[in-house]
Amino acid sequence: MSLTNLLCGLLETSVNQLHQLDSSAISKRKQLNGTIIAASLQEIDLPLYFIISEQQVDVLNQFEGQPDCTIKVSFQALNKLQDNRQLTQLIKSGELEVDGDIQLVQKFAMLLTDMQIDWEEHLSQKVGDVIAHKLCQHAKTAFQTTQFQYKRIETQSALYVTEEIKLAPSALEVAYFCDQVSSLATDADLLLNKINNKLDKQLNNLSQTKVLADKK
Amino acid sequence: MQENSDNTTHFGFKTVEEDKKVELVADVFHSVAAKYDIMNDVLSMGIHRIWKRFTIDCSGVRQGQKVLDLAGGTGDLTAKFSRIVGTKGEVVLADINDSMLKVGRTKLRDMGIEGNVSYVQANAEELPFPDNHFDLITIAFGLRNVTDKDKALASIYRVLKPGGRLLVLEFSKPVYTPVEKFYDFYSFNILPKLGKLIANDSESYQYLAESIRMHPDQDTLKEMMNNVGFEGTEYFNLSAGIVALHRGYKY
Repeated sequence: MSLTNLLCGLLETSVNQLHQLDSSAISKRKQLNGTIIAASLQEIDLPLYFIISEQQVDVLNQFEGQPDCTIKVSFQALNKLQDNRQLTQLIKSGELEVDGDIQLVQKFAMLLTDMQIDWEEHLSQKVGDVIAHKLCQHAKTAFQTTQFQYKRIETQSALYVTEEIKLAPSALEVAYFCDQVSSLATDADLLLNKINNKLDKQLNNLSQTKVLADKK
Repeated sequence: MQENSDNTTHFGFKTVEEDKKVELVADVFHSVAAKYDIMNDVLSMGIHRIWKRFTIDCSGVRQGQKVLDLAGGTGDLTAKFSRIVGTKGEVVLADINDSMLKVGRTKLRDMGIEGNVSYVQANAEELPFPDNHFDLITIAFGLRNVTDKDKALASIYRVLKPGGRLLVLEFSKPVYTPVEKFYDFYSFNILPKLGKLIANDSESYQYLAESIRMHPDQDTLKEMMNNVGFEGTEYFNLSAGIVALHRGYKY
């Protein structure tokens, strides 16, 4: 009991702390002012009730009233919720169950996930403009370099496996092999057809000779 | 708990005249009001937030309902209730101590909570509200300081709507002996020192520790609630019984 309370508390505090940093959060909350949304993951049976007011988002784990909208979503579909176009697809595939106004779901997902936080600005108030700018720049370049390095390592190891130690075939080799397999398959089919035809003919011949022999 | 026939009552471990207790308790809260919230966080190590969260989960409160937060102090519960009941609902923050009420009002206004909250200075023994008025009444860490608890419970019962519920969140008796030993050590040795250090007031926190020991235990309080007419009374031990939440319904 107290563990879920703790979870709710942590969730509530972190969402509201992040909202404090996000200047667009107030207007988003105003749009949803007074709505109550029950949300749960399909994997875990733990409904959470989000009570949205102008001041903040409250998270309860028990609520006896009628929520405006009930959402049940699978864990993998969580980050797809933002995208308007994917909502219907998610509902069709059963990854998202909605009972109530679907527009609320959209707005609610935006409220929780789409936060535009200007970290550099908030940091600059603490440590000054120059250091904040430098720090953010370094963080950005570090992020880009790691991404670049990651991609490079990926291609290099792929090349090593296919070209150097010949452990796995390259893409072209695989394609060539697949072509060969499919042509072999068609050849085999043709052969099978031919044999079938031949066999049919012979069977027909046999039965005709039998009929003739019987008549005699 | 046991009140003597010659109009005396307990104030912590001391025995005082009944009409003096209100003043003495008032002095305690006048002196701690300013630092009440920070002291709560330090002394309970933040756990009081979880106790209050559990109280709200048990309240079953909905939009449009009327809630009375008795001895609401600095308005932790009121803030939450105000957002849950929405614009159509109503929350009354009542406290006998005007210092606490002022701190609470300033805090809630700073948070932007207004419109559905009103502030009333009231004695829990004689609530200034009509009969059958509230859907929910909570009294969190307040019943302990009331002079005549039976009278207060009866008064609460009167203003509660049929179908409404009372939640009493209050310190209680730990259910395990080791916990009790540690808790006693903590509250008589560490708590007053922390009070001295942070709020520069060790007597008030000495009183806090003593008044907790004098408060009726889980089953006695349940019995007291049943006696004034509450039904379906139950209690939940939180943090091994250091705090208990009592819930009773009026039908």
